[in-house]
Amino acid sequence: MKFRKAMALAVAAGMVFSLNTVNVFAEGEATDITLWTYPVGSWGDSAVVDGLIANFNEAHPDINVKVEYLDYTNGDDQINTAIEGGQAPDIVLEGPERLVANWGAKGLMVDLADLWTDEAKEAIYDSVESACQNNDGVFYEYPLCMTAHTMAINRDLFEAADALQYLDEETHTWTTENFVKAVQAVYDNGQQNVGAVYCSGQGGDQGTRALVNNLYGGTFTNAEHTEYTADSEENIKALELLKSMDGINFDASIAGGDEINLFCNGTLGMAFCWNIAQEKNNAENIAFDVLPMAFPSEDGNPQLCGGIWGFGIFDNGDEAKIEAAKTFIDFMANDETQAAESVKASSYWPVKDLGNIYEGDDLMTEYSAFIPYMGDYYQVVGGWAEARTAWWNMLQQIGSGTDVTEAVNEFVTTANAAAAAAN
Amino acid sequence: MSTKSRMSKALVRRETIAGYAFMLPSLIFFLGFVIYPMIQCIITSFFDSTMNREDIFVGFGNYIELFQDKVFLGALRNTIIIVLVSVPVVCIFSLWVSSVIQNLRGPLCSVFRCVFYLPVVTGSVAVTVVWKWMFNNYYGIFNYVGKATGLIEQNINWLGDEKYALGCIILILLTTSVGQPIVLYVSALDNVDQSLVEAAEVDGATRLQCFWKIKWPQIKPTTLYILVITTINSFQCFALIQLLTSGGPNHSTDTIMYYIYHTAFKLYRYGYGNAMGVVLALAIAILSGIQFKLAKSE
Repeated sequence: MKFRKAMALAVAAGMVFSLNTVNVFAEGEATDITLWTYPVGSWGDSAVVDGLIANFNEAHPDINVKVEYLDYTNGDDQINTAIEGGQAPDIVLEGPERLVANWGAKGLMVDLADLWTDEAKEAIYDSVESACQNNDGVFYEYPLCMTAHTMAINRDLFEAADALQYLDEETHTWTTENFVKAVQAVYDNGQQNVGAVYCSGQGGDQGTRALVNNLYGGTFTNAEHTEYTADSEENIKALELLKSMDGINFDASIAGGDEINLFCNGTLGMAFCWNIAQEKNNAENIAFDVLPMAFPSEDGNPQLCGGIWGFGIFDNGDEAKIEAAKTFIDFMANDETQAAESVKASSYWPVKDLGNIYEGDDLMTEYSAFIPYMGDYYQVVGGWAEARTAWWNMLQQIGSGTDVTEAVNEFVTTANAAAAAAN
Repeated sequence: MSTKSRMSKALVRRETIAGYAFMLPSLIFFLGFVIYPMIQCIITSFFDSTMNREDIFVGFGNYIELFQDKVFLGALRNTIIIVLVSVPVVCIFSLWVSSVIQNLRGPLCSVFRCVFYLPVVTGSVAVTVVWKWMFNNYYGIFNYVGKATGLIEQNINWLGDEKYALGCIILILLTTSVGQPIVLYVSALDNVDQSLVEAAEVDGATRLQCFWKIKWPQIKPTTLYILVITTINSFQCFALIQLLTSGGPNHSTDTIMYYIYHTAFKLYRYGYGNAMGVVLALAIAILSGIQFKLAKSE
């Protein structure tokens, strides 16, 4: 019995000692932070991100970064569950619609004012700066990269249908009138499924919004981003046009990702959900010549939906971690040698002038033609989550025969109610 | 005598303590992961609760809103349709299949049991992906076979057309639901007292009479269990909807479970979502209660 007691005492003493040892050595040790990243180009690829973090650790060996990779299907759920469980990541890589309009608006994010120095404000493009802050001027995102979402056509198919005459291959633009003619020509040439207004979910919905808004110059929100304006005459006219066109189907069984696959395997003649990353990621699966195009507009002067990605910090109440997270962001986005690497990993373009980081890359040069067409970044409007759902529901209604005006009015009522509740 | 009694009391106490100690891990799990969330769910349903904000007490506000919410009422209707179709079909089909395969020789019976059980053990995501491919509007096998055999003239958008989408969901649900009932029924039929069946046959009973008068009463507890679990599973139909249709087209495949998920995790309306959860739990409890009652009274 005595032996057992002695052993128990020894084990207990050992455990207490080891705990103390951990505490003693913990002081002055590295700060651990977590980075959760959505698949923004190769920022979703662990091999690439490990390399970026190795660069960071060379400069800052005292900060350990643990990475978790999210996808766009479940990423939001994972983060929301983590928030509710008090385990939110320190840093998240995504866009203003989540960092500013969602988690920022809910008071979960750290104000990044000290990263937004005068020098940074001077360097970063105004439209990007405006998207990274809320209406009170609080910055919840420090941006890294941006792109313009385009559409794309199967050039071989259009050539066979003699439809290339309706578009400007040099500027990658076309008018609404010519878009209609081109789709009709391809359809008449035997391609039954020229394009699909996909609407089974919110994936890739920027494509359908941009298509509808551009056709007759409609807008999605007002300039102040306080109200949804999708019920305008221009948008209704655009939806009615799409509904009436041969070869354009309102398809409630596919979302943006499915549409891309159908385009890449030649089932569809055009994709409305496209950007440089799609062409790079699907290069091996495409057996035809892809021609990226701006969305058609009446005057041939498109307003493309932009994507801006950057870092936000969750306020987990630990100042040391917040400071370490800011150091990480500053290194990735501002370090002279690292910034270009960080942007290249995204396959998109820098949010400030870093020189021609894609020199010699023909594909990137081709797609850079779309950057000047970037339109208003309205995704920071209140009630965004509800509005996105209401949008694809509205397209489904139109696809199943509901009157366009009625469906659009219902969408705007739902979305504006959500915006009012959020504001 | 008194010493004996004291000893026996001590023994009883010791056994009771040991019993509770063995039960403790399960009890902790049950209290922490079942009872506590249930209580929390009921409490939260009386609040306007969202992320990072103090909850606001709204009384029965969420419940009143529920029954004015067109989408919820549609989801309720769809859920009831799924339950009404799938529960009897699953029970009847699995009883029929198990009656047939039970008479087969051992290995052949096992093969059929495996075949029908396969969709149950296969991950629901994998099953759904295959079905999604088969239902594909552009190159799905159903459209291909339909057109090749002249049954349809042009492709049908199975999951994208509200006329067909719910039917497709129910079809997939049936394939994933029949496996377990078949296995249970085969076991139940194996356990039927053969001497009674043989005696009835000697007395001139037909096969149908043997089934209804001898076998059916003995497999009734299994039937009750199958009815209850199929009802609960049908009420909780979620993964298929999330992976295939997201409740569309035009809310035609919304179910209460999916709408709870959408409301709570996409719109962050936790109180409203919990109110739906309470209504769903009540519906399942009432229906299961009726099933138990009916089974008992018979």
